[in-house]
Amino acid sequence: MQVRSVTITSFRNFEALTQQFAPGVNVFFGANGSGKTNLLEAIYALCLGRSQRGVADTVLLRDGAEVYRLAGELTTDSRSTHVAVAYQKGGRRKITIDEVPVRPAELFERFCAVAAGPEDSAILSGAPSQRRLFLDLHLSQHSQTYLKELVAYQRALAQKNAALKGRMDASLFDDQLIDYGSAITLRRAAFVRELREASRPYYRDISQGEAFDMQYSPELETDPECDDIAIIKAAFVEQLERNRDREMYQKTAVVGPHRDDLAISIAGFPARTHGSQGQWRTAAVALKLAIYRMLTDKRRMAPLLVLDEIFAELDDYRTSALISGFSGFEQLFLTTAVEPPEPLRTNATRFKITAGRVERIG
Amino acid sequence: MAMFASAGTIERLVNALAKLPGVGRKTAARLAFHILKMPQQEAVELAEVILEVKEKVGFCAVCNNISETDPCAVCTDPRRRRDVICVVEQAMDVAALEKAEGFVGLFHVLGGRLSPLDGIGPDDLKIKELLDRLRGEVSEIILATNPNVEGEATATYLARLLRPMGVKVTRIARGLPVGSDLEYADSVTLTRALEGRQEY
Repeated sequence: MQVRSVTITSFRNFEALTQQFAPGVNVFFGANGSGKTNLLEAIYALCLGRSQRGVADTVLLRDGAEVYRLAGELTTDSRSTHVAVAYQKGGRRKITIDEVPVRPAELFERFCAVAAGPEDSAILSGAPSQRRLFLDLHLSQHSQTYLKELVAYQRALAQKNAALKGRMDASLFDDQLIDYGSAITLRRAAFVRELREASRPYYRDISQGEAFDMQYSPELETDPECDDIAIIKAAFVEQLERNRDREMYQKTAVVGPHRDDLAISIAGFPARTHGSQGQWRTAAVALKLAIYRMLTDKRRMAPLLVLDEIFAELDDYRTSALISGFSGFEQLFLTTAVEPPEPLRTNATRFKITAGRVERIG
Repeated sequence: MAMFASAGTIERLVNALAKLPGVGRKTAARLAFHILKMPQQEAVELAEVILEVKEKVGFCAVCNNISETDPCAVCTDPRRRRDVICVVEQAMDVAALEKAEGFVGLFHVLGGRLSPLDGIGPDDLKIKELLDRLRGEVSEIILATNPNVEGEATATYLARLLRPMGVKVTRIARGLPVGSDLEYADSVTLTRALEGRQEY
């Protein structure tokens, strides 16, 4: 897919801006703080309705503004669509496709984007919630059913927690937590298996031979390789029963996939505690390359690529390994404070960003 | 809205209309100006019918449906089966089921659904009134709350409450809308429809 143009109003440090983009490589360069990453964020948010940095809408508002709006022309299979994403302070995000209001999930169904940037290291170094967010975001692009199950699970979970705090009958929501939660556990297990196999060769190639491993560690006490939903459901039922008093006492739901994690190891050691900055960065890039490959196969469309300063810490060898991994893209946006690496310099369209203004240069 | 600063009455009307569901400030202003331009007679009729509906229409003491009579027309209809009660969340659901014409039993309107997030518990719904009705000739309770998180939890609550009392409890089926195409069904609905398949 491609983003042909974007019109930005009161988003981050942009006041008002309309810009056309080219197929292939689009390079944003400029000084620190000029707004390169903000422009990437606007492009990504136009495709999927959310920031790739996972921040709240209030943060995206230009200083002092009440409303932000992103609009633009997106193409898939050379069919053109007009998309708009708008947010008003205190309200909810409003999304339209060809002037028709749609649910946020519709963008996930229609479009497809992969972002990589410095914040990805948090997948390796951060809290379990960072790894769940990573799984949820990419699994939702893979499977519409997953996204719907996740939304229903989170609603049931919020109701159960409110019931526990308000001394109401929280067990009324358990059947739904079991149904949706078991389905989520099953899909995460299959996705992590696939992601592990897809990311290992990338990590090995980029790192020149280091070992990389990733295991799903579900909160439910089942074998992470288990692919029988009946066994997962039985484990869920049993653990809920065993933790009933604890949930009442803690006034919060403690059983279910909202407490899942991923166990990632690099060169045989747990990544979170033993990994170096460079290893985290390389692993994050390998994961994103794997996601890109899997999404391309699954969706039969080339996802939009949004790359934020990802070459900054990589040597020439790793850089070229990375670029060949992303081969086959239709359109790629990248930011850089320095010159882009050689393979991307030819045929690139370049944009200079200065304090919230964009200028196309050749 | 600064433009109404000197027009207190209009602003009061806009504010009143903006409280209606699905009506924002803009639509409310448009409606208010439309009312302003109406022939006097039409405006009086609108005002009167609003008053009238508040005076005449109340709730059926038996089933809690909205009604001009108490008990309501459904509860007093001799042709309807009195041994089956269909439990719904709101009066609008009764209207939908009546339009479908497929159900000949009685209704019970809960007046909402369980939602701890909104602080709505069993005591806020007409559940005691439903239990009072079981003393009669009721043999089946159909749970027709909405197939979403809160509606399912409400159905679970009622099922747990009613089953020990010896009454047959059923739940409306979840599946595909009739007359639609499979390719347009959302994925979760399709999954449920497959789970609920029947021998053919």
